[in-house]
Amino acid sequence: MKPVPPRFAERFLLRCLREDIAEEVVGDLTEKFDSMSKESPFKAKINYCFQVINYLRPFAIRKSKSSYTNHYAMFQNYFKIAWRNLSNQKMYSSIKIGGFALGIAACLLIALFIRDELSYDLKIPNGDRLYRVVGVSNNNGEIRKDVWFQPPFANALKEDYSEVESAGRINPVELFGAGGNEIRRADQDQNTFEEGFIYADQEWFDMIGIPMVYGNRARALAVPNSIVISKRMSDKYFPNENPIGKILITNNNEDRPFTIGGVIEDIPATSHIHFDFLMTMTGREFWPGEQTSWGSSNYHTYILLRPGIDPIELEKKMTKGVIEKYILPDLLKDGLVNAREVLKGARLEFQPVRDIHLRSEGIHDRLTHGDIRFVWLFGAVAGFILIIACINFINLSTARSANRAKEVGLRKVVGSFRSNLINQFLTESVLFSLLSFVLGILLAWLLLPYFNFLAAKSMIFPWKEWWLVPLMISAAISIGCIAGLYPALYLSGFKPIQVLKGSVSAGSKSSTLRSGLVVFQFTTSIVLIISTFIIDRQMGYILNKKVGFEKDQVMLLQGVNTLGEKIIPFKEELVRLPGVESASISDYLPVTGSKRNGNPFWQEGKTKTEKAVGGQFWRVDHDYVKTMGMKIVDGRDFSIEIRSDSQACIINQTLARKLGLKNPIGERITNGSSGSRIMEVIGVVEDFHFESMKENIGGVCLAIGRSPSVLSVKVSTTDMPQLVTSVSALWKDFSPNQPIRYTFLDDRFAMMYADVQRMGRIFTSFAVLAIIVACLGLFALSAFMVEQRNKEISIRLVLGASVKSIFNLLTLNFVLLVLVSLLIAMPISWYMMQTWLEDFVYRIEITWDVFVLAGLMAVFIAILTISYQSIRAALTNPATGLRSE
Amino acid sequence: MKETRLGEFEEVILLLVGILGEEAYAFKIAEEFESQTGRSISIGATHSTLSRLEDKGFLDSKMGASTAQRGGRRKRIYTITAIGKRVLAASRDFKVALWKQYPAFQIRFQITN
Repeated sequence: MKPVPPRFAERFLLRCLREDIAEEVVGDLTEKFDSMSKESPFKAKINYCFQVINYLRPFAIRKSKSSYTNHYAMFQNYFKIAWRNLSNQKMYSSIKIGGFALGIAACLLIALFIRDELSYDLKIPNGDRLYRVVGVSNNNGEIRKDVWFQPPFANALKEDYSEVESAGRINPVELFGAGGNEIRRADQDQNTFEEGFIYADQEWFDMIGIPMVYGNRARALAVPNSIVISKRMSDKYFPNENPIGKILITNNNEDRPFTIGGVIEDIPATSHIHFDFLMTMTGREFWPGEQTSWGSSNYHTYILLRPGIDPIELEKKMTKGVIEKYILPDLLKDGLVNAREVLKGARLEFQPVRDIHLRSEGIHDRLTHGDIRFVWLFGAVAGFILIIACINFINLSTARSANRAKEVGLRKVVGSFRSNLINQFLTESVLFSLLSFVLGILLAWLLLPYFNFLAAKSMIFPWKEWWLVPLMISAAISIGCIAGLYPALYLSGFKPIQVLKGSVSAGSKSSTLRSGLVVFQFTTSIVLIISTFIIDRQMGYILNKKVGFEKDQVMLLQGVNTLGEKIIPFKEELVRLPGVESASISDYLPVTGSKRNGNPFWQEGKTKTEKAVGGQFWRVDHDYVKTMGMKIVDGRDFSIEIRSDSQACIINQTLARKLGLKNPIGERITNGSSGSRIMEVIGVVEDFHFESMKENIGGVCLAIGRSPSVLSVKVSTTDMPQLVTSVSALWKDFSPNQPIRYTFLDDRFAMMYADVQRMGRIFTSFAVLAIIVACLGLFALSAFMVEQRNKEISIRLVLGASVKSIFNLLTLNFVLLVLVSLLIAMPISWYMMQTWLEDFVYRIEITWDVFVLAGLMAVFIAILTISYQSIRAALTNPATGLRSE
Repeated sequence: MKETRLGEFEEVILLLVGILGEEAYAFKIAEEFESQTGRSISIGATHSTLSRLEDKGFLDSKMGASTAQRGGRRKRIYTITAIGKRVLAASRDFKVALWKQYPAFQIRFQITN
C-alpha cells in the first residue's frame, strides 16, 4: 500500500492555511513526502508534521474570514427565513411563543413581588445603624423572642451606654388607646372611626425620619398631648389648610384633646410599621408610676448606635448590664426568690430595622410581615416556570429538526459554515424570545391587578424605570441564546449528504433528552399540584376545626366605648330585639387582632416560691361564655345572682394544667406578683383557639370586669339584613353622632388565616400556569410525533389496526413519562409540604390519597392533551397519509 | 514604501529560481538549496521567502502543471522579473567591486590570472 501523509496534520494544515495557497502548499508537501517515503515512510511522516508546523508563518495563515462576509444581507436572510417559519407553522409558533410569554409574565410578576419585598425600610435615614431591640427568653429550653420592653428601658440604654446615640419607644397596645379610635375635630360632633394610632417618643420620631409636610420635626411631639398625623388624614379632616395647632378629640374624651404638632407624608407601603396618628408619649403615664416602673412591658424600643459600633459586642455587654442593674433587682424586690434562674438564658438582640419586614420569624411583635422564606420560595417557583418554558422552546425546536434538516443540508452544500448556521438558529431563537418578551411584558402588565389581589400588594408596573427596557432586552437576548443553543448546535451538526439523501430520521436521536425534559416539566407541575392540594386541605382543616367557641352568627359591634355609661341600657335594649340570643361586652375576643395582655399567674401563696405561669387575663361580663358558645367542662358559668362572682374566675384547661391544679374548682389563684387580686376558680372552660393555629393554646383566665369597646351579639336568625337594620336603628337612638361599625366573628376568624389562604391561591395560580405551559409543550410534541409517524400509522390502519391500538401506541409513551414524573415528584413535595406544615401546631397529616389524586389528575390532563392528536391520527383516512411519496 | 533590499538568503533563493527555470517551485527550490548548500531548510521557510520576494517585485509566479506525486495538485512556478535580474546583477557587481579593493585577494587574483 502506498503510504499517505498523516491525515490529522493535513487537516490541521488546511484549517490554518490561506485558501489561495492551499493547493500549491499541500502539493509541495505531498511531493516531499512522496520522495521521502521511498526510503522510510515513518521518517516521511515525521518530516511532514515538521513541514506543517513550519508553515505556521504570518504570510501563510488564514486571515479571519469575517471581513469577507456581508453580515447585513445574511441577517436579513435569517430574519426572512425565521419569519416564514413562524408564519408557516402557526400552531407550533404560537405554542412556542405563547408558552414562553406565559413563563416570562409569571417570572416578571414574581420578580416585581420579590423586589417589593426587598425594598422595605430602605429609605430610613441611618438605617444601617438603627436597630430594634429584641428580647430573647429561655424558659426551660423554650425560646421566645419578643420586642416588648419596660417603660424606662429605652432611657436606661441611652444613659448607661455611650455607644447608643439615641433611643426611642413606640407603644402600639390597644389597651392604652393605640389601634383604632373614634375621632373628630374639636369643632364638629360627628365621630369617625380611624385606625393606625400609636404612641411614640419624640426621639423615635426623630430616628425614623419620615419627611414632614407641615411643622417642625424636632418639636412635633415635644409637648404633652400633641399628635402627628399623616398627609392623607390631614387632607381628610383639614382639607386645604395647615392643621398645625388644631385640636382633635378621640372617643368623645374632651378631657384629653390632642393638638396637632405636625403632618408627615404618608407611610409608604414598604414600611414595617404603619400608622396615621402618632400620639406623643411626652408627659403621658398610663397609671401612676408606670413610666418609672420595671413591672410592665408594653414598649417597642429602637436604638440608633453611633457610627462604627459593633452591635454584637454591645448586645453582650448590654444583656449583662441591664439584667444586673434593673431587671434582677426589680424581680428580687417583688420577692421572687428564683429570679436569677428565671433570667438565665435571657438576652438582648439588636435587629437591624431593614430586616424587620422579612426576618422576624418567631418574634412576637404583632405586626404583619413578610417572610424571607416566601421570597425564596417564590423565586424558586419563578425559576422553575421559566425553565419549563425554556424547555418547551428547546423541545419544540429539536423536535422539528427533521423539517429543518433539508434546509441545513442545502445551506451547507452552498457553502455555509457551521458557525453561520449556529448564528442563524440563534438569531431565530432570539427573535422568538424577543416576541415572547414583548408579549410576556404585556401579559404581566394586564395580570398585575389580579396578582396584586393574590399577593395582597399594591405594586405598579415599573414602566417609568430607566432599567426596564435595557434589562428586558438583554434578558430576552440572553434567554433566547440559552434556549436556542442546544437546537442550534444540534441542527447545525447535520451532515449534508445524509440529510439530502433523507436518512436523518425525525430527530429521533434526541428522544432521550426530550423525554427527560418532559419528565422535568411534569415533575415540577405535579409538585405544585400536590402542594396546592395540601395547602387547601390544611386550610379546610383550620376553617372547620372545632375551635372551642361558636364563631358563626356572632355580630361584633365596635366602638361602643363612646356610649360611656349608656352601654348597659343599650345592651339591655339590644337583647330584647327579636333574633338576638345574648350579648356580651368584652374587648377580649378569641380572634387575633383583638385585645390581649399577658399576666403571671400563681396558685395562692406560691408567688414567692414558684415560677409564674403566663396567661391571658380577660375582663368579660356575665354573658361572655354563653355568647361565645364556649363550653364549661367543670364547675359553672358566672352568674349575675351570685355577688361573690365578681371576685371569681373561670380558667381554661390549659391554665389549670399549667398551674398543676388537679381539682381546680374552689382553688384560689392570683395574678400579679404583689398578689393583690386573689380569685376563686368557679369553672373550667374547654380550651379554645384564640390565636392562630400556628401556635399552641395558651392559658386564659376570665374574670368579671369592664372592657367596653366591643359588644358581641349572638344571633339566631336567617334574616341577617333585617337584624342589622334593627340593630343599626337602636344604635342611632343611643349614639346619633357616630356611625355604627360592625363585623362578624367568622369573618374575623377567616382573616387570621388570610396569609394561608393567600398562599393557597398563589400556589393554585402557579400550579395552573405550570401545568398549562407543560401541556402546551406536550400538545405540540404529540402533534409532532403523530406527524412523524404518519406513514407508519397509515400502514397500520391499512393492515387493520383498530383505533384503540393506534391510540395506545401514541399515548402510552407519554403516560409513562408522566408516571415517572409522579414518582420523582412525590418525595420532593412530601418533604416540602412537611416542612411547611411544621409551622402549624395544629395540622393535618399528609396522607397517600393526596398523591394518588394528584397523580390521577396529572395523568388525566396528559392523556387529555395527547388524545386530541392521537384520536385525530387514528381516525384519518390512511390513503391521505400514503398517497404521496 | 516597499522594501527593495536583497538579503543573503534571498539572493541565494533568487539565484536558485533562475537556475531551476521551469522547475522553480517551492519544494524543488528547497531541495536544490539543501543539495547545493548542505544546509537543511523547510519548505515553509522557502515559501515564505519566495512570497516576500514576490512582494518586493523580484519574482513573478503563475500556476503550473500538476503531477501524480503531488496528488494531482498544481504547483506555483516562480520566474525572475526584470527588476529581479537587475538587483541580482547589482548585488554581484557590488561584491566584485568590493573584492577588487581587497589587497590580499588582488595578489592571489593576479597570480592565478
